[in-house]
Amino acid sequence: MIETPVRFKSTADIETFSRSLRDRTDSTTKLVRVCIGTGCAAKGSRRLYELFCEAVKQSDLDVRVEAKCVGCHGFCERGPIVVVEPGEILYQRVEEPDVAEIFRETVLGGRVVQRLLYEDPDTGKRAEKADEIPFYNVQKRIVLGGNGRYNPTKITDYITEGGYSALAKVLSSMLPEDVISEVELSELRGRGGGGFPTGRKWRSCRAAKGFPKYVICNGDEGDPGAFMDRSIMEGNPHSVIEGMLIGAYAIGSEQGYIYVRNEYPLAVEHLRMAISQAQEMGLLGRNILGSSFSFDIKINRGGGAFVCGESTALMASLEGRTGEPRAKYIHTVESGFRGKPTNLNNVETWANVPHIINKGGEWFAGIGTEKSKGTKVFSLVGKVVNTGLVEVPMGITLRQVIDEIGGGVRDGKGFKAVQTGGPSGGCIPSEHLDARVDFDELTKLGSMMGSGGMIVMDEDTCMVRVARYFTEFLQKESCGKCTPCREGLSQMLYILDRITDGEGQVGDVERLESLAKLLESTALCALGKTAANPVISTIRYFRDEYDAHILERHCPAKECRGLFRYEIDADACKGCGICLKNCPVGAISGENKVPHTIDQEKCTLCGACWEKCPFTAVLKV
Amino acid sequence: MPTVTIDGHKVRVKKDATILDAANKAGIWIPTLCYHPAVSNDASCRLCMVELDRGEWRQLVTACNYPVRHDIIVYVSSERARQARRGVMELLLARAPESEELKSLAERMGVKETPYPKVTESQRNCILCGLCVQVCEEIIGRAAIGFAGRGVDRTVASPFRQASEDCIGCGACAAICPVGTIKIRVHEDQQEVEISPFKSRAKLLVCERCGVPIASAQVSEEALGKVKIDCEEFRERLRFCPKCRRSQTAARLRAATDNKENSELAAGQDLT
Amino acid sequence: MAKENELVEQIIDRYAADTGMLIPMMQDIQAECGYLPADQLRSLASRLDVPLSRIYAVATFYTSFRLAPKGLHDVTLCMGTVCYLKGAPKICEAISKEFRVEPGGTTRDRLFSLQAVNCVGACALAPVMIVDEKYYDGVTPESAVEVLRSLRPAEEPETKESAS
Repeated sequence: MIETPVRFKSTADIETFSRSLRDRTDSTTKLVRVCIGTGCAAKGSRRLYELFCEAVKQSDLDVRVEAKCVGCHGFCERGPIVVVEPGEILYQRVEEPDVAEIFRETVLGGRVVQRLLYEDPDTGKRAEKADEIPFYNVQKRIVLGGNGRYNPTKITDYITEGGYSALAKVLSSMLPEDVISEVELSELRGRGGGGFPTGRKWRSCRAAKGFPKYVICNGDEGDPGAFMDRSIMEGNPHSVIEGMLIGAYAIGSEQGYIYVRNEYPLAVEHLRMAISQAQEMGLLGRNILGSSFSFDIKINRGGGAFVCGESTALMASLEGRTGEPRAKYIHTVESGFRGKPTNLNNVETWANVPHIINKGGEWFAGIGTEKSKGTKVFSLVGKVVNTGLVEVPMGITLRQVIDEIGGGVRDGKGFKAVQTGGPSGGCIPSEHLDARVDFDELTKLGSMMGSGGMIVMDEDTCMVRVARYFTEFLQKESCGKCTPCREGLSQMLYILDRITDGEGQVGDVERLESLAKLLESTALCALGKTAANPVISTIRYFRDEYDAHILERHCPAKECRGLFRYEIDADACKGCGICLKNCPVGAISGENKVPHTIDQEKCTLCGACWEKCPFTAVLKV
Repeated sequence: MPTVTIDGHKVRVKKDATILDAANKAGIWIPTLCYHPAVSNDASCRLCMVELDRGEWRQLVTACNYPVRHDIIVYVSSERARQARRGVMELLLARAPESEELKSLAERMGVKETPYPKVTESQRNCILCGLCVQVCEEIIGRAAIGFAGRGVDRTVASPFRQASEDCIGCGACAAICPVGTIKIRVHEDQQEVEISPFKSRAKLLVCERCGVPIASAQVSEEALGKVKIDCEEFRERLRFCPKCRRSQTAARLRAATDNKENSELAAGQDLT
Repeated sequence: MAKENELVEQIIDRYAADTGMLIPMMQDIQAECGYLPADQLRSLASRLDVPLSRIYAVATFYTSFRLAPKGLHDVTLCMGTVCYLKGAPKICEAISKEFRVEPGGTTRDRLFSLQAVNCVGACALAPVMIVDEKYYDGVTPESAVEVLRSLRPAEEPETKESAS
């Protein structure tokens, strides 16, 4: 909580308060920032924070030390992350026994603990600061800039670094029309996947007839493999609130909603605290900063339905109904939530707004490509060395993201494909790795940028299984209202099951393509319309895998059980007999110290031998 | 009033009328399933797909709920629209393989069979159009049934899948069901009507004169509740089926005429 | 009976009887009771003047709602793309086989309820299993079963568990 209750009565109050906070900050204070984003917290970072707090309490009172918990830094692969100031020394993979050493050596002694620094896997060079690490220095962290610096549960941190100054600027010197013009100038496009020009959306909503008008933040990030919005909501909730305030002012709305996915409890908690603190300080509520503008925000948690990320389904859910989308022949900016003009934007879209106001639309439009401006946050996950969250300017190539930031494919395996755009997107193979990432380029290749999920797949991944995975996901998440999505996805899944079980029939690929076309043309909502993308893009680039499954009953990636064999490499086999002992059907034979063999007739393909062999002499063929 | 050019025919419709309204006016048939003029609809069956001319491209839209706001050009018989409708019908045929109504609708569309394997689940032959749910909520005002579950597990059911306390056994759901899945079963021996598959049962009013079932007791009460007249004769008449009521009325009229004749006769005799 | 109505009354007051907040109301009931008891839902329907069929539709649409009591512990398995690729289905199979429970269900002895969700956003830790808000990273079929076995209270020589 804030020590001295403050309530801002005018726009000048914020600047004064912010300055006073900055003046109060003692530059000689040493600071330890511990990441408590979900990823690091899962590895015990909260305990690290507690230990640092204890160390601070017991330390010499001559040296001022503060321990602070902060939001996700993005380098999840290397968590838990701890940063020490001054010097911005970044420690990775910190464990409980390390706390005492860090405190003694770095915090008090000003010395660096080498072994906890990031080490470049190729050169062996150790990096002290974040910007010495390729993972970070290729990034341009605008939206994520606050993560890792502010304590998300303290509004004063946000204000000290200039937070809510964009709101002050808007309320003191801009008309709603000016705000919309600035956002139009920036050419910001929706970050949730649709990519609709934000300024145009705000303008239509402002012009729509009807009262009251609503502003909604879509925090129902459901794409598997995506956690960008989670990190923004957890690590910098005020950026979203400030964005919504500015948008509401521009559109003429007094009530906003943030719809957060049920599976993000920390995000809900941090947003609740942020809203409550903003209300206390008069930044939410009536007559904000002494103006005639009033606005407040409610939080709703989802009930567990991916389809509620679709805007009309989200609004239905907010109305206390089942999350079923409806036709969009009449747009939601005209008639949305409760039949009133509603402006819905994604978390990341809202978080960009304060920066656009502060630095100008022209500044924003100076980053990115011709039709896709600004930066985009991606979750880079899967078979890549550095998994985590990255923010890069639009137009960077896939190769740069995966190799320079991601460190390439892990375990020395070959790159096969990168899946982008979640279940609405597709897989992109190596020949297109130099494609520039933005709204339009990836769509031309049969995928889409979507909300920012990037899943790297290696040579051991069966692309037909990937298609089956996404189809099953969508079939389970389909609301079931319209025929093509409900029935069509089931029929597609039935065919894909056949193929991965080794019972594919000639013509199955054509059947899948025909169903895909039907879904795209007749489904009611975007979930159904794009549901066949994973199947179509894998057919486009990996047709040979489908053919192998169907015509040869063989899985080239050796993932589909029953569609590949196990064989023992006679050169590698030491004849230790472990596989023989573990085989449940006695299919392996061989004398001690002599290379063993597998009787293919008896083998049930259980894989036990492959798992147990200590010499990796069992091969999948 | 905007003009809709539909397969070359021009018709004028009121603003916010639908493409389906325009097609009806032009005499062009578009197959529908989940649409019914008496209740609101969501265009969920996706059968009535038509192509809308957007200048550089054509958009497939559902005719039953696309609002006409200015002059538009629509293609019902284009290849793409036909293919879309055929595809949807093929999926539906796999979903409701035993429905005669669906098969004849398919025939009318020129779809003879489906390439898809039949769907097997507990509620066969329901195409989830939602008309039964809508009529029960909007027209009858009872909302005794609703959707339950999601995706492929979506079904129409009464709460907790038990016989609904709100059902009055009126059979409106059975009447509106376009594929003949909902059935009214009369159990004469128990004097009950059952709405299948919702398991709800209602007591039947039976004609006191001939024993034929009339309507469910609750429907009768609901109807009485909506009528302002409350007289004994009215309540008496309700105990009989329409046929018997007519016979009774005829008998009464005959008796009245006879009496009149008799009294006139009697009066006439006096005069002479 | 009076106590149960009290809960619904409290919750309705909390949200000023706004039917738009039906889902948060139901979430609160579930937080209190551990699941959504039928009579609570009936009370809610009658007090809010919302058809019971609509409340039932909402209760069965969203996966976070349970219409049956849940287990002592909450076990969540992530089935997001990355966890899936790293073997989550095998882990699920192993748990189902050992404890005779399917995702969405509860073990017969009500020890734990199993849920399979799509991506908890901790992809660097794949495969992920969450037990009562504690995250277990890099689990295998064996390690997952071990963790769940250890949920059983220590002093259990022969109890009803052995029947399962």
